[in-house]
Amino acid sequence: MPGFRIVDDLTSDVMFEAYGENLGQVFENAAKAMFSIICKLEKVSGKKSLEVEVRGKSREELMINWLQELIGLVDTEGMFFSRFEIPEIDEGHLVAKIHGEEITPEKGETVVKAVTYYKFKFEKTPKGYVVRVSLDI
Amino acid sequence: MKEKLKRVNDFEWMLPKGSRDKMRVDARIIANKPVMDAIEDAAVQQLTNVACLPGILEPVVGLPDMHWGYGLPMGAVSAFDAEEGVISAGLCGFDINCGINSVRTNLTAKDVRPKMKELIETLFRNIPCGVGSKGKLRLTLDQLDEVFTRGVNWAVDNGYGVKDDIEATEERGCMEGADPSKVSDLAKRRGLSQLGTLGAGNHFLEVQAVSDIYDKRFAGRYGINDREQVTLMVHCGSRGLGHQVATDYLKIQEEAVKKYRIWLPDPQLVCAPVNSKEGQDYFAAMKCAVNYSFTNRMVMTHWIRECFEKVFGTSWEDMDMHTVYAIAHNIVKTEDHTVNGKKRKVYVHRKGATRAFPDIPAIIAGTMGTASYILKGTERAMEKTFGSTCHGAGRAMSRHAAVKRFWGDKVRDELLKKGIVSRSTHPKVLAEESPDAYKDVESVIESVHGAGVSLKVARFVPLGVAKG
Repeated sequence: MPGFRIVDDLTSDVMFEAYGENLGQVFENAAKAMFSIICKLEKVSGKKSLEVEVRGKSREELMINWLQELIGLVDTEGMFFSRFEIPEIDEGHLVAKIHGEEITPEKGETVVKAVTYYKFKFEKTPKGYVVRVSLDI
Repeated sequence: MKEKLKRVNDFEWMLPKGSRDKMRVDARIIANKPVMDAIEDAAVQQLTNVACLPGILEPVVGLPDMHWGYGLPMGAVSAFDAEEGVISAGLCGFDINCGINSVRTNLTAKDVRPKMKELIETLFRNIPCGVGSKGKLRLTLDQLDEVFTRGVNWAVDNGYGVKDDIEATEERGCMEGADPSKVSDLAKRRGLSQLGTLGAGNHFLEVQAVSDIYDKRFAGRYGINDREQVTLMVHCGSRGLGHQVATDYLKIQEEAVKKYRIWLPDPQLVCAPVNSKEGQDYFAAMKCAVNYSFTNRMVMTHWIRECFEKVFGTSWEDMDMHTVYAIAHNIVKTEDHTVNGKKRKVYVHRKGATRAFPDIPAIIAGTMGTASYILKGTERAMEKTFGSTCHGAGRAMSRHAAVKRFWGDKVRDELLKKGIVSRSTHPKVLAEESPDAYKDVESVIESVHGAGVSLKVARFVPLGVAKG
């Protein structure tokens, strides 16, 4: 099963679904889905790494804050990210090691302006987690 | 929801306040029949949601370029009472003061066409663009605060632009009341390196030629005199800084909605009472992003002038490269409007909408392959649309759908067949922004002109375009 898929919806920017057998995996796949929109994911190496810590009052808010944190890092660090490791996570807190490289414009695709709550859904199913996120681009 | 629309005349539709439960005011849509047929039902529904908010004034306005957006469609205006109303980060949009600068030249298309490839390449190389693009400026935090509070005045004092540019910018390039202490550290850090950058997506820099002049006297006042005269437009916003300000205040206003017990028909419409701390803090932070964006486009305008000097070997002054006008189309402002016969102070949220005050220019950008316009505002706009008109063609197809349907290289070839040189960081952005992914700009303009909420002054066709 792929880790994520892009969903077409209205003229509304971009929506994706990400999946994971566990919480860490769905957060990793959601980050990958978002960066597949921001840049050419397969061309971005993981030679530079950063550690980030994110908090939220629920797993839903944690997901929004996680993706929003990554969007901010694109600008403040001048980096694209392609690989995400989440060694520590619960429903209100995560620590991640994220890997990427400095931005080269040719590897860029789309500016993601924000993560929104439009049709946002984060479900736990017998097979694992599914999250649906819309991005304003 | 569209079945509840009542046709007023060939260019105007009403959605009465009974169309859904809890609507406080009517909604009005400016559109001719073909444009109305193309508007999504979900976007019309969004107008009715906004019509439920406290202190909303009649009417909520949908413009012919409207398409679904976060909370409120892009291409819409909502105005609120200055005492009872709300102010909303969502109703302004994520790209605060996304807008357009129009610059004229005294060159003709005949002069420029032979050098168009070189010109577009020079512009592309000298105006930083693309995702996460960093500018050539490196500001300190103190300088950034100065940009927030002084806007285009900062640019001019630092050699980017001249005093005439200030006069030709909405709000004279600086909204009063910007308070840097209301902008988060993260937003500031995102803004530090991006001043003077175009970004990506639908933002562009376009070299154009005048194709038609409808109002010679008005156009002449702004130095637009002849067909084939070369002009240009820069379409861009407040970059990561503005996106972060919007994101920060959506969170703050989410809490404000609970605190002030505001009922929302759609959670995306988070807001705060206009006179609350949460409301006024947003307004002061938004103004910082507005001023940053005016400055951003001014700095790029300066570099564009330098590019023309390099390619044509003449000073920009000799090429008469003055700003025609510069406008914002995502903004919240306090303005005086007459509502039910009474003049009152109003918080106007323009989201994908351009100010159209009487005898003031409104700049409307088309798509890469189609025309752009200068319109002039009217008294009728003051009566019908809180002094507003459309902002562009309006998307008809999502970017994702456009990429699946169009092929970037083919879009570039087709533009070239029409004599339009294009340059982008990668072909995909050309597919996303294919003219066929947008509504017909001519019908959009016919709608606002026919409704009388702004009148055609001049039409411009693209010669070359650079995109992120």
